[in-house]
Amino acid sequence: MRSDTTGFWTPVALSADLPAGTVIPARMAAGTIALWRSQTGHIAASADRCPHRGMSLSHGFVRGEVLSCIYHGWSYGRAGNCLRIPAHPGLTPPDAIRVVTHDVRDTGGIVWVASGIPAGDPPDLDGFTPLRSLTADADRAALALAAGAQADEDGRLVTNIAGQDLCLLLADQPEGRTLIHVLVRSGSDAAARIAASRSVERLRRMAESASHKGGVQ
Amino acid sequence: MKLYDYILSPSCYKVRLMAALAGIKLDLRAVDFHPGLEHRGPDLLSLNPAGSIPILEDGDLVLTESSAMLAYIASLSAPEWLGRASAMETAREQQWLAFSSRLTATLGGARLHEMLLRPGDIAALQAGGVASLRELEAGLVEQRLAGQAFLVTDRPTIADIACFPYVALAPDGGVSLDPYPAIRLWSRAIRSLKGFIEMPGIHRLHELKPEPHLEQDEA
Repeated sequence: MRSDTTGFWTPVALSADLPAGTVIPARMAAGTIALWRSQTGHIAASADRCPHRGMSLSHGFVRGEVLSCIYHGWSYGRAGNCLRIPAHPGLTPPDAIRVVTHDVRDTGGIVWVASGIPAGDPPDLDGFTPLRSLTADADRAALALAAGAQADEDGRLVTNIAGQDLCLLLADQPEGRTLIHVLVRSGSDAAARIAASRSVERLRRMAESASHKGGVQ
Repeated sequence: MKLYDYILSPSCYKVRLMAALAGIKLDLRAVDFHPGLEHRGPDLLSLNPAGSIPILEDGDLVLTESSAMLAYIASLSAPEWLGRASAMETAREQQWLAFSSRLTATLGGARLHEMLLRPGDIAALQAGGVASLRELEAGLVEQRLAGQAFLVTDRPTIADIACFPYVALAPDGGVSLDPYPAIRLWSRAIRSLKGFIEMPGIHRLHELKPEPHLEQDEA
């Protein structure tokens, strides 16, 4: 699919779906990550596993500038280092306690996470604005067929449905599913945005139906 | 006001949550739903022949449908929780109240199957749950595009409370909530409400309270 082997950016969420002070899970080809934004707006991505007991950090919570595990409250900074262990308030956690982190960017209203070391910046969105994200129980090929257009090597598919230009950013998910970020032309009004949301629901139904799947995810 | 209640029942939790948000104190009467099947025993069947819980008793009034209980509690002491400002609000509220029974049948059915080994076609229950969640997600996306954070309008109503518990507990039935960003934000908005209470499996937002600190000599 890609010729470069150095690394690439995966679009994992809309910026608007990750407000300050929240953490969400995001699926990458290599596994799930915990994606979070601090109270002052700094974004970070780490492995979704607390090194203490293996609990998913995406089940945790963000207070101030740190991500805390829901299980025993071990807290981590953006760089992945453990900052606090509540049961041992006098202890400065050793530097060896840390979670793996990923390079992350917040541009064009999309949160991008690096796999490997990308050669450049995340792709430009050419006058499109993010609308919503949804998951299809269908692969990229089935979605391309339903949309009547192919995705480029960055997973970007531009199509026109019912007279409306839509840009879909496709990210492969486990078990043949695809995460779709829907973008509309910047400046589209509320009615056009609602129409776009419904168009993509219809496109998903077509792709899933062609894949002979029931839609369980 | 007396609620025949089971702590693990999402439908009973709807009523406890609405009462807490409205500032009404309930007299809770615990029902041995599992393993005792007390709701199918002679005493509770004479109160509710349908053999379901919750049951709400207030004087001569006996209610056996949770949506009716939400409407009763809100009408009594929290009318701002009713969508009554326009015909559209009234209709949307009824739409989502009726929709909530599909969440109970699908996500609730999958949860009973997975937690209490109740018979059922788990794949069909989960597929129905996903279809319901997708519908809710699409509805919430359109509400957000109209600048409204809740199902009926820009403030929470009984329709949000009717839909919230079975959605929040979907993972108990093996249905992931990860693919629904609008549902995630809506769930946070509900859990941020003043007076919000928890049930097992639905926790409060820890970040809303200051960080607890152990004293050095307690550790």
